Amino acid sequence: MSFWGLAFYVVLVLAVILGTMAYAKTGLSDRVFKNPLTRLYEHVYIFVKNLCVSIIGPHGERFVPMMFTFWIVIFVGNITALLFPTSPTADLSFNLGMALIAVGYVQYAGIVSQYEHLRHEGVSAAAAIPKAIFRHLMHFTGPRLPLVLIPISGLIFVVELISEVMKNVSLSLRLYGNIDGGHQAADAMNKLLYDYYIPVGAFLMPIKLLTCIVQALIFCLLTCVYISLVTHHEEESHDTKEAHAAAH
Amino acid sequence: MEQFGLGIGIAALGAGIGLGLIGYGAMQGMARQPEALGRIQIAMLIAFAFVELVFLLTVFIIPGTLKG
Repeated sequence: MSFWGLAFYVVLVLAVILGTMAYAKTGLSDRVFKNPLTRLYEHVYIFVKNLCVSIIGPHGERFVPMMFTFWIVIFVGNITALLFPTSPTADLSFNLGMALIAVGYVQYAGIVSQYEHLRHEGVSAAAAIPKAIFRHLMHFTGPRLPLVLIPISGLIFVVELISEVMKNVSLSLRLYGNIDGGHQAADAMNKLLYDYYIPVGAFLMPIKLLTCIVQALIFCLLTCVYISLVTHHEEESHDTKEAHAAAH
Repeated sequence: MEQFGLGIGIAALGAGIGLGLIGYGAMQGMARQPEALGRIQIAMLIAFAFVELVFLLTVFIIPGTLKG
């Protein structure tokens, strides 16, 4: 896809999202929401919040805005693929940009979580920042090993760095392959009865709609899993246990 | 696409078996423990995504790169 073609579809998706959100915001009130669009966005918000809290844990609510943005952008981008010849998510560059943002945000979340942990222990703010970055990097070296096995930790560090880069590739290629693959499959089915002017590929639409929802879900799900891997601490698991005990 | 016909068939076979195994395991788990349904579904979807990615790589990415 050319640059201006991609720009057109990105602007289209952004216009749809921002327009509907601006309209939904007018329906906000202290009591029951009567605007159907506001209700729809509320349901999506509750869904994403449950996803974050169930995967990341009780401290997952702070990641809801980012996950909600990912969910909405990917979902509307995928829906564009059903109605238009192409879509932003059927282009690898857009997906790779989004995956880079997601993985970069995971690193940021890990550093912030370590920083708050250090501040909780009583370290001063200036000293806590480099320490938090160091601890986040130590996270990549795996479990703490005895002194003899330090080279193993180095190897684990290299492997973890490669896996961190491959997260970008797997996130972006999965979305691209699913959406673009859906287009190619519809094209191939259209060719079957091309001579009789019967668009057989249109029967793929329900499956493509399912793919749209599942792919947006998978992207958010995997980002949540990555965040939960870097922000996990001991005392929070205690909190989870207490919350479970309170629930029972 | 013609020169990759048999290869794509084998790739579809492998991905189909993998997806079937995941669905089999997840359904058995859900039937045995209905209260863990949500967590099993999430783990199942993640496993689906990984199997699907291999298939998509085989079918859409590799033929394009091999052609040039």
